Amino acid sequence: MSALFAIARKDLRQRLRDKSAFVLFLLAPIVVAGLMGLAFSNINLHAKVGVVDLDGGPAAAGLSQVLGSPELSDTVTLRGYPTAEAARSAVDAGDIDAAVVVPAGFTAALAGGGTPPSPTVLDDVDHALAAQLVRGVTESYVAQINADRLSVQTALAAGVPAASTTELAARAAQLHAPERIEARGLTDDPLKTVSYFAPGMGIFFVFFMVGFGARSYFTEQQQGTLDRISAAPIGSGTVLLGKSLSTFVYSLVSLGTVTTVSWLVFGARWADPFGVAVLCAAMAVAVVCLTTLVTVLARTERQAEGIASIIVFALALLGGNFVYASASPPALRRLALFTPNGWALRGFTDLGTGIGGWSAVAAPLAGIAVFSAATAVLTLVLLRLRRPA
Amino acid sequence: MTDSSNDGELLECAGLVRRFGERTAVDGVSFEIAPGETYGLIGPNGAGKTTTIRMVCGLLHADEGSVRIAGQTVSTAADPAKKLIGYVPQDIALYPDLTVRENLRFFGRLYRLRGRALERRVDAVLDLVDLTERARDRVDSLSGGMRRRLNIGAALVHSPSLLVLDEPTVGVDPQSRHAILGSVHRFGEEGMAVLYTTHYMEEAERLCDRIGIIDHGRMIAEGTQRELVATVAERDRVLLTASGELAKYVSECRLLDRVDRVDVGGDHGDTVQILVRDARSLLPELLDLAHRVDVRIRGVEIVEPDLEAVFLHLTGTALRE
Ligand SMILES: Nc1ncnc2c1ncn2[C@@H]1O[C@H](COP(=O)(O)OP(=O)(O)O)[C@@H](O)[C@H]1O
Ligand SMILES: [Mg+2]
Repeated sequence: MSALFAIARKDLRQRLRDKSAFVLFLLAPIVVAGLMGLAFSNINLHAKVGVVDLDGGPAAAGLSQVLGSPELSDTVTLRGYPTAEAARSAVDAGDIDAAVVVPAGFTAALAGGGTPPSPTVLDDVDHALAAQLVRGVTESYVAQINADRLSVQTALAAGVPAASTTELAARAAQLHAPERIEARGLTDDPLKTVSYFAPGMGIFFVFFMVGFGARSYFTEQQQGTLDRISAAPIGSGTVLLGKSLSTFVYSLVSLGTVTTVSWLVFGARWADPFGVAVLCAAMAVAVVCLTTLVTVLARTERQAEGIASIIVFALALLGGNFVYASASPPALRRLALFTPNGWALRGFTDLGTGIGGWSAVAAPLAGIAVFSAATAVLTLVLLRLRRPA
Repeated sequence: MTDSSNDGELLECAGLVRRFGERTAVDGVSFEIAPGETYGLIGPNGAGKTTTIRMVCGLLHADEGSVRIAGQTVSTAADPAKKLIGYVPQDIALYPDLTVRENLRFFGRLYRLRGRALERRVDAVLDLVDLTERARDRVDSLSGGMRRRLNIGAALVHSPSLLVLDEPTVGVDPQSRHAILGSVHRFGEEGMAVLYTTHYMEEAERLCDRIGIIDHGRMIAEGTQRELVATVAERDRVLLTASGELAKYVSECRLLDRVDRVDVGGDHGDTVQILVRDARSLLPELLDLAHRVDVRIRGVEIVEPDLEAVFLHLTGTALRE
């Protein structure tokens, strides 16, 4: 046990003394998260949204009403356009951030009980967040009306005279402009960019620890200190465990510092510090598991470096460290669930939109645990297969 | 320690075999070292010295045979027997980004030393390797010679009973080499057993109580220096620094009476080594032969029986760098 701590302590000391590690794991994530926060902060505050009403019926008017409602007035400014083309060019010209086009026959379809053609959202890559917002509002509006339609049909089945159903449906479409809109990022505390990108960058840079940690093993092998350690009366697993402990501590310190600094300095907000701490610790465990896997997988320092960078970039891209997860296509969002960082960022998104406690972190924690366990099992299998010579 | 086979020996290696694929690097090596004894394992490069030492230290498992220290078996597992061994690798194996003291502390902690006891041992080792003044300096700021000394010191923190050094003087300047040989000599005098490998015969002659000669993985002779030299029975070594058709000269020499062994060696491969009885009377004949096969002799030296003569006698080959 004391040998394990001696190895962990020695590794930590070496890492603290290494200026490039300091820059990579503490300075860089803070600086990048800060810059991203500054660069994107104004998008959060306000979105200019165009509306094209090709329908002209009450259902379309209801959507405009919702988007123009007082509860969204801080976030959304509405502007009407006669045609989809006009709205498109306004988006392209940057006059507005996004536009919603309500197709002709929208009200009629809703009233007639057919499947309504859904409104299209025109977006722009530079203002993904605005488009996301409009999409959220529109989707929940349509969902609300559909729910109302369902109740009309239920009423029908229960014996309401068929003659009055058209009227009922029209009423439903007209009156029930949803009272509460629930779109992601639109609760009392809208998700701030920095609340997402600070942990995103923190995790991305902490992933570099995988290559760092694995390389330190091969450095020891090369400089002969690993032989020296092996000549002492300690178990063969002790070296890996000691190194893992130092990787864990350093990852945790790195993530802890990044989140604390972005909270204090850049105004990142999460519902619950406990949740943040739990997610950081879980990610540190995932980093340890990945590091051990790469160490066992590689034969040389070169290989370790190569494997680590492939894993790091694949995970960071899939998990959404560079883009808002909610702004990425659904297929990518599904792939993010295979990554620990994807889960962690989900947790941070929930925490950032005011959801606190276990309801924000339970699922991410489980996701990260499954990933870490799978990695650990793979590592153990590889260790079994490669009995030392 | 109740083992009866342990009749006062500290280290017992019995029938060690180690193969790497097709190649047998160590082929049935056995030797013993008594407490306080300095044992030299000598042989040319590739003879199997490092492989033997790695098995002794439990860094490599033996395909056959066993290593016992103070009656306890040494294996690659985490066994307590390893506590009795101090291993000095051939190349410097230290953390360049840590200080001298931090390095020593770390290696001490691996052997469960801690607190005051650890600090006391670290101070003692610093004194022993003459680095007290540099204790706070990072290793990468030390000179080559200092690093060599610290490399040895790092194996001494836990007070081993057996110090194992793998060619500690290779690539070392003469002054540091002198210092290293001096300290190894002192360890021996202080009662520590030493296993010392080298391919420099004169180091073994100077340091070792007993010597084992290893070649192609086999132990080909063992004994005190005096015993080993006696096996060449009064044969001298004639060293001719020469140029020309050396191969032809060597084969002609081998036909002469009284010539035991002939081979080409030396640092530049330009020295013909001839092992002969009564070298002085044979010398004119050797020079005459050189003249006849057009070999130019630039220097002649006659060396009294020594370990190199033993090696030449046993293997027929001269040691080369
Ligand atoms: N890990 C290894 N894999 C394959 N061959 C090895 C390995 N280690 C040593 N050898 C071979 O075993 C022989 C003995 O090597 P070694 O013990 O290093 O000799 P020495 O230390 O006397 O110079 C050499 O032929 C060397 O090439
Ligand atoms: Mg060697």
